[in-house]
Amino acid sequence: MDTLLLLLPQVLFDGLLLGFVYAMIALGYTMVYGVLELINFAHSEIFMIGSVVGIEVFRSLTGYVPNPYILLVVAVILGGLISGLTAVGVERLAYRPLRKRGTKNRLVPLITAFGVSFVLQDLVKLLEGLWHNEFFLSMKNVGELEQSVTLFGIFIQYKSFILIGVSLVMLGALTWLVGRTRLGLAIRSVAQDPSTAGLMGIDPEKIISRTFLIGGALGGVAGVLFALQYTTVSPYVGFLPGIKAFTAAVLGGIGNIPGAVVGGLVLGEIETLAGTFLPVLTGGAFGTEYKDVLAFLILILLLLFRPQGLLGQIVKEKV
Amino acid sequence: MNRFVGAVPATARLAVTVLLLAAMGGFLALGWGAAAVLAAYATLFVLAAFPPDPRWKLAALAVLTLEATLGLASKIGGDLLFIALVGVLVLLLRLPKVAVWLKVLLGAAVLLLGIPIAGFANTFLFELGIQIGIYSAMALGLNVVVGMAGLLDMGYAAFFAIGAYTWAIFGSSQVQHFLTTWVPLNGNFVYLFMGLAILATAATGILIGLPALRLRGDYLAIVTLGLGEVVRILANNLDHPLNLTNGPQGITGITKPPIEGFQALLAALGIPRSASTDYQLFFYLLVLVIIGFIVLVNVNLARSKFGRAWVAIREDEIAAKAMGIPMVKTKLLAFATGAAFSGAMGVLFAAQRGFVSPETFTLTASITILGMVVLGGMGSVPGVILGAAALTILNLDLLKGFSEVLNTMRQDGTVLLGFPMSQLPSQVDPAKYERLVFGIILILMMIFRPEGLIPERRGSREEEA
Amino acid sequence: MTGSSLTVEGVSKRFGGLLAVNKVSLRAEAGKILSVIGPNGAGKTTFFNLLTGIYEPDEGQVLFGNRNITGKKSDSIASLGIGRTFQNIRLFSGMTVLENVLVGHHNRIRTNYASAIFRWGGFGKEERRAEARAHELLRYLQLDERADDLAANLSYGDQRRLEIARALALEPTLLLLDEPAAGMNPQETEDLKHTILALKADLGLTIVLIEHDMAMVMTLSDRITVLEYGSVIADGLPEEVKANPRVIEAYLGKGGANA
Repeated sequence: MDTLLLLLPQVLFDGLLLGFVYAMIALGYTMVYGVLELINFAHSEIFMIGSVVGIEVFRSLTGYVPNPYILLVVAVILGGLISGLTAVGVERLAYRPLRKRGTKNRLVPLITAFGVSFVLQDLVKLLEGLWHNEFFLSMKNVGELEQSVTLFGIFIQYKSFILIGVSLVMLGALTWLVGRTRLGLAIRSVAQDPSTAGLMGIDPEKIISRTFLIGGALGGVAGVLFALQYTTVSPYVGFLPGIKAFTAAVLGGIGNIPGAVVGGLVLGEIETLAGTFLPVLTGGAFGTEYKDVLAFLILILLLLFRPQGLLGQIVKEKV
Repeated sequence: MNRFVGAVPATARLAVTVLLLAAMGGFLALGWGAAAVLAAYATLFVLAAFPPDPRWKLAALAVLTLEATLGLASKIGGDLLFIALVGVLVLLLRLPKVAVWLKVLLGAAVLLLGIPIAGFANTFLFELGIQIGIYSAMALGLNVVVGMAGLLDMGYAAFFAIGAYTWAIFGSSQVQHFLTTWVPLNGNFVYLFMGLAILATAATGILIGLPALRLRGDYLAIVTLGLGEVVRILANNLDHPLNLTNGPQGITGITKPPIEGFQALLAALGIPRSASTDYQLFFYLLVLVIIGFIVLVNVNLARSKFGRAWVAIREDEIAAKAMGIPMVKTKLLAFATGAAFSGAMGVLFAAQRGFVSPETFTLTASITILGMVVLGGMGSVPGVILGAAALTILNLDLLKGFSEVLNTMRQDGTVLLGFPMSQLPSQVDPAKYERLVFGIILILMMIFRPEGLIPERRGSREEEA
Repeated sequence: MTGSSLTVEGVSKRFGGLLAVNKVSLRAEAGKILSVIGPNGAGKTTFFNLLTGIYEPDEGQVLFGNRNITGKKSDSIASLGIGRTFQNIRLFSGMTVLENVLVGHHNRIRTNYASAIFRWGGFGKEERRAEARAHELLRYLQLDERADDLAANLSYGDQRRLEIARALALEPTLLLLDEPAAGMNPQETEDLKHTILALKADLGLTIVLIEHDMAMVMTLSDRITVLEYGSVIADGLPEEVKANPRVIEAYLGKGGANA
């Protein structure tokens, strides 16, 4: 048991890393949900695209640009941009036509979201197949970023600092954007009541588009950081983090921006703790694989006992 | 298209049909498979788009059935002519103003003569028929959940897995890994286990549905998605501490139901026999019976207070509640019913294949079944069966066929549009891109035709002529 | 069938900073027609939603007969015998007219799940009884010849009447009508008046009516309660309410009393 306690700081730190990734993906879910009341399931794939872009940048540019920090900046910008634009494109091509038709049936946009998700997965798979003939993509050695220090008995790689640093900057920027700018005000007003916002001279379509752009960019940056930290990705890598980030969003209270961050961090910690201690505590009977089962159990229990989440309110249908 | 129908005189439509059928006969006699297939499809198209008098249409369908069966029996046209038979069934379902017994007669001829004859000539077609049947049955179960009640179940394959593993574990030597003194059950227990699987999956459905169904519909989609993943993880990892599922290797040597009586019957009827086709014919007929039963259940439920309550919830939840319909209870009923169908088919699937592994029960499987319901038409029984047939054929036959063609081209060094096919990366393999195809189908259907190929029919509107 | 009374005591509902319904008390006597009127946004529909369990009141209580139904779920309130219609018609538009009424009859159909699956054990008999009852209600509202049409294909006025038929299929003792005459032409409104009076006379139903058509309210109502900004500003017999200066002011603004 003593050795377990010694492990604890390291485990908590690793949980924090995972938690920030979940938090950044969860924001995309929560923002789109806030504006459209749609679970944009394709957001998992927006994250996946970011991770693939991150890996491709390091793979193809390492030869020309030896400095890993410059590469990192390029990867973050490109990842955020491509993911954000993909999210906007998905909204234009798949979701907007549905709103134009004005279908009442809530299944229709949801099924579309799943369809988009599968198309994006296989499109990336096809492109990567044509380009490298590979399914799993591995990160190149990122040189200096792999170096590490040991602080308070915690083994920390430089890239982990970067993950936390970039996440904090992005979260700060988002808080400022939503809380302090005209765009943020417009997003919040569309989330409250699209038709009234329309009367106030706000074009809801434009705001929806921007929301997808911002959420998608956050997801893309999360993808780049994820690829850097965990080094191997595939076209299907978005599925599990996506489902868990959604759980995190529900955990924090769907539609609630600080809630998504809190939910992400909590889930990241729980999962990492479970992944480490479950095999030890059960004498190896249940392995690390069961951490995914645990995330799902949390979702179920949450829906049973606190469906509004940690910070949220119950969403009532408008009558 | 209906605007143009009137422009073509009835006699011309009939003449074209007759000509096409005659051409098809000629091509078959000459052994030109591809041409015969084209003629068959053209006939189906003409019959669908420019229908002649219903009686003539029925007669044309009968002739087409006969020709396709003869072609399949002499191994001309292969899988593609098989699809023509499915087309005949679809047109038959949509044929108005003809005595029901005539339709039933032709339908029975296709199902009980055409397809088995094709199956004897080419056992793959038997397999295809059985898989279409199993998937149709499952899609009809999901139709209750998604189509009627409007609940999005994204983990339907989880219930299929629970059913399949229930029989796989107790119907093979797998059980001895954890109950050393237990003897694997004999094949007669398959039927009992279908009942047990119904109970087990309905109970699982209620357990999962209870928390999710109290909330807005979207939550159910995510919870069922999670359930699908959990069941797959359990199937993959429950080989320790107790070896329940044998992990990723899966379970082999699963007992099939005994068919001595059936074989005796075949012998008495003088039907040609072999060890493999006996079982295939048996399972094919068993699946047909089960589908008949499930269609009956679907139709009966749709015309009862329960079916009406489901549709009411789908149309407007608040109004349905104001009519005194208990929301959670009614939704749970639909959810558990769908789960039960899937569980029962899982048992049958395990018994028929003799082998199960976690790979069968992935998210892609759940999406495939959902795709069948969406493509065919949510809530529409003939639509859902058509959707199941179309996607099963696409999945098992066309995508694989396309892959084979590409592989042949790779090996033969074919140059296509200036591109040497041998250079084509091995990752580019159509059979591995079902998700892309299903995804495109889901998106396009939702945007352009959310009601499906054969929409649910309510009210007194006369559809089609 | 006889009507049940409805007693509301100090019910409030707050949405964020907005007090939509403020300590409203009123009483609908058994077998009588009570109208709830007030300018747009006075909280009338929210008030109905509080009665039928779509919202839960923040304070106060609702008694149906002698039974406290405060905070009960909307489906159990409906099963107790409160039928309602909606201001913004909420029919099951993809179902037929007959099916809509049958859905209203849901809890009165005694069929269990097994007998529905296999059509045994008196299933057919019960189903035929329910259909006969539904046709009877449709005839009552002059909709029977449209029984097999889709609800979505009905005219506006017909849809409003179908909502009433559907609510009656619950076999309620209290009927809440939310602007039943909205969008109807004068002839349809006239017919509707007779229908509502017939419901009261033939079935002895208690009826609570939200309506903007003042002529209709004045002829039908036994009693009127007036809401403004979520609060009751007047309550009494039609003549009393008509003469109440606060009501006139609420409707016409200051200085409009001569209209």
